[in-house]
Amino acid sequence: MPLTLRDNTATITGTLTVEEVEPLAGWLRSTDRPRVNLRGCTHLHTGALQLLLFFRPTVVSRPLDPFLSTHIMPLLGKRNKELEASS
Amino acid sequence: MNPLLAQFLAEADDLLSQVDEGLLRLEREPHDADLVNEVFRAAHTIKGSSGLFDFPELTRLTHAAEDLLDAVRGGRLELDATMTDDLLAAFDLMRGWLAHVTTTERLPSSANADGAVLIGRLRAPLGGQDSPAPAGHGPQAAPAPAATAPQWVGALGEEWLETTASWLEATSASLRFVRYTPEEDCYFRGEDPLHLLRQVPAAERFVPVTPAAWPQAAEYDEYACLLSFVLATRAATGELEYLFRYVPEQVEIADLGATALTRLLAGEAAAVAEAGIRLGDAEQAQDARALLEAALHVLSALPQEAAARAARVSSVERAVQSVARALGRDVEFPAHDAESVEAAARALLAALETAVVAEEAVPAPAEETVRSLAPAGPAEETAPAALHPADGAADGGKVGSRTLKVEQEKVDRLMELVGELNVAKNALTFLAASAEEEFGNRILGRRIKDQYAGMHRIAEELQAAVMDVRMLPLSVAFARFPRLVRDLGRKLGKSVELVTDGEDTMADKDVIEALGDPLVHLVRNSLDHGVEAPRVRVEAGKEATATIRLTAVSDGDAVVIEVADDGAGVDPERVKRKAYEKGLITEEQLETLPEAEAVNLLFLPGFSTAETVSDVSGRGVGMDAVKASVERLGGTVTMRSERGAGTVVRLRLPLSMAVTQVMVFSVAGQRFGVPVDAVVETVRVPAGEIGRVLRQEVIQLRGEVVPVVDLAGTLRMPWSPAGATRDVLVMWVGGQKVGLLVERFHREVDVILKPMEGLLADHPAFSGTALLGDGLVLLVLNMKEVLGVAAHAA
Amino acid sequence: MSTDRTPHVLVVDDAATVRYYHRQLLSEAAFRVSEAVNGLEAVELALQTPFDLFVVDVNMPKMDGYACVEALRGEPVGTDAPIIMVSTEDGVHDADRAYAAGANLYLVKPVDGARLVRLATMLTATAPVREETP
Repeated sequence: MPLTLRDNTATITGTLTVEEVEPLAGWLRSTDRPRVNLRGCTHLHTGALQLLLFFRPTVVSRPLDPFLSTHIMPLLGKRNKELEASS
Repeated sequence: MNPLLAQFLAEADDLLSQVDEGLLRLEREPHDADLVNEVFRAAHTIKGSSGLFDFPELTRLTHAAEDLLDAVRGGRLELDATMTDDLLAAFDLMRGWLAHVTTTERLPSSANADGAVLIGRLRAPLGGQDSPAPAGHGPQAAPAPAATAPQWVGALGEEWLETTASWLEATSASLRFVRYTPEEDCYFRGEDPLHLLRQVPAAERFVPVTPAAWPQAAEYDEYACLLSFVLATRAATGELEYLFRYVPEQVEIADLGATALTRLLAGEAAAVAEAGIRLGDAEQAQDARALLEAALHVLSALPQEAAARAARVSSVERAVQSVARALGRDVEFPAHDAESVEAAARALLAALETAVVAEEAVPAPAEETVRSLAPAGPAEETAPAALHPADGAADGGKVGSRTLKVEQEKVDRLMELVGELNVAKNALTFLAASAEEEFGNRILGRRIKDQYAGMHRIAEELQAAVMDVRMLPLSVAFARFPRLVRDLGRKLGKSVELVTDGEDTMADKDVIEALGDPLVHLVRNSLDHGVEAPRVRVEAGKEATATIRLTAVSDGDAVVIEVADDGAGVDPERVKRKAYEKGLITEEQLETLPEAEAVNLLFLPGFSTAETVSDVSGRGVGMDAVKASVERLGGTVTMRSERGAGTVVRLRLPLSMAVTQVMVFSVAGQRFGVPVDAVVETVRVPAGEIGRVLRQEVIQLRGEVVPVVDLAGTLRMPWSPAGATRDVLVMWVGGQKVGLLVERFHREVDVILKPMEGLLADHPAFSGTALLGDGLVLLVLNMKEVLGVAAHAA
Repeated sequence: MSTDRTPHVLVVDDAATVRYYHRQLLSEAAFRVSEAVNGLEAVELALQTPFDLFVVDVNMPKMDGYACVEALRGEPVGTDAPIIMVSTEDGVHDADRAYAAGANLYLVKPVDGARLVRLATMLTATAPVREETP
């Protein structure tokens, strides 16, 4: 199961496909101060990346995957405003 | 790796070996025009294809090699040994680069410096002038980077752009910048833009761009893609176009260098950024103009001959008509002759000029290199490639060679499956036995055996077919020798001709691969120790040029390879003396050992006849290493030598090492196997007949004393034989009979030997493992090593 | 009998990588693509099949691109289908030779893929509808 949803932490492992985008969205909408663990995540569907950029949950563990870690992680760490300013 | 790059690497590899071979032959036959042409062409092809990727160093180096070869081809230069050395070095360097590309998809960082040295050497005979290519970088024909950067490049961040601009400035390189704006509903078409973007090779930076204004949280639609992406990469435009070929209209690519980035940072480029939008039209105009100008060009150079002339005029008419249609105009050709076609082309060109001038409100220097990928015109409507998937297959596509290149892993996988099939098949015999013994149903047992026989036949054929795929000609193993012999000969000041024979003899790829090192060693030995210096040879009444002969012949299920030289041969007295000095033989042996057997002393560990350790035959590694590796392959080595006339080393190897027939037995409840080839017989002797000589247990077998090894004891397994009789497996190991004390014999089975893994991987007593029909793993013994361990333990 | 409106392109190049690249580009743009590895082979194929477009490399073994185009335009092939020549040589004389041989366009490698597809599309817009025997 690539997506495990608990009270306030979502754990994503392996490849998160488009199928899991909707449950993740629902969870992000309904969760106060959501936290996301990406350590074992190897790929995120674009829709999920967009969710993370929109809802800005706290990322509690860096992905081991080199692409996500190099190119995606730095953006998830920033607040929305910073992101807009830099683009 | 994208398939285009993979294709290039495979082709370049082939071409590089052609070049090597060609250059070596060329040195001997410098006036063979076809040969020069062949080598030139291979270099040319590599250069041409390298331009599809961002490998400017590779393109430059091949270009320099090509120019030199072109001069040789044109008779302006005579190829000499130095030039050949430089060319070989250049192609060697390329080979190294490509190996690096294979793993990292980039050239090594040293490529520029290393390449420059060789380019200098290659160009020296041409008068040292620099490349005729425009100064700077990149493939000769690559478009220059755009002068101005589109605004979206700014998304990569000012700080990074500044750093990058100064880096690009310093290296006078450029990067490709990509903007990818997926459509909002792209998820519904199964697209995952991020997945596509992960595949961008050599990405330097990657930034998802969030929308200027996000929707309210309540209205947020997780199925609408609102992101776009900007990235910078070292990959070439061609590669990027290929990667994004399914979404060309959503992608913009710009090739930008330091200047453009600096201007962007200075805010100068704002006005030009939007030019991309209209580019579809501008490109069409550009294409149309190119075609019309070409049409006039053809018409101005028509031949006299009527038929050839008519075909040209007619083709130009078609081209002009096509252009007219694309521009939305119709043209009439009152007479289908050159004059009316020319008039139509001129009219269209004029119309085009006015139209373009009217539209060119925005000066767009970027239009050459910033472009939308969308193909213009009807191609869009018919675009899905899936419409004609079978075309290539249907009409044979590639004419010429029908060879299919298959990755080795796939063949290995097939072989593994065949092995598993064999195992599953063998399980049927267990089943038949249990039908008879456990369930007492002999009829069922026999039927299962019949089924087994049928499957056995199919499995055997399948196995033979797959093994056939794995067969390679010996030429693969021989290929490196012309070069090796040439280089070593030059180094040692010896003149040697290499003759190869039987290169088309086939053997399993594992055998061929494993054969490489022993053969290199033998050939080096011949050159270093066997072949005399030319003067010595002449004094001895021989030809100044020595001959080393590599021969392969197949012999039943084995292949025999000979390395023969007509050199000085081995001096048996010297060998014996040396062996004695090293303590390898006794004084008695020194006196009595026949000359013919003296050569075998060379195979003893620690023997080396070279007076000085030379740079040529590997230090400290002697013939014993050759012998060991050949024996590891299940082969044998023999040597014949005649003083003053030369030496012949003969290797005999199994054609295939894929399938091994093993005899299964158990000791201490654990099953082991030994190759059936080594088994002489199985005997049962009364316990009391096992005697002792010194500390070694022995049995008497028809008057012969055979040592018996207790395997369980050797492997420290808790077992001692019980009962009144002992089962002994008698084997032929290293030239003598040896018995192995066994608990119980099982059957003989065909297995695929797999190398040992895990904890036992380094244990020399095992040569591999195999899966048995009942699912158990069988350890296959390396008897020589077992004996070694046993002797050590005793 | 079936009619086939798909333009049929013959890619003539000795470099497998280039052929592969052109095949990918053109077949994705819905062209039917055949390949030949040298000029001689191209001429032989053209005798059997009425291609709608030729993309011919200049530098090839056996029969080079110029000779190949010359032969395609001459008897017995005598095709009037458009011919695009591609080459790594960027010289005025090379283009002259191409046009004298009867090419309709001379491009310098590496050829921009999108441009080749656009040109091929433009040039085959007038390709006659062919009757094909199954």
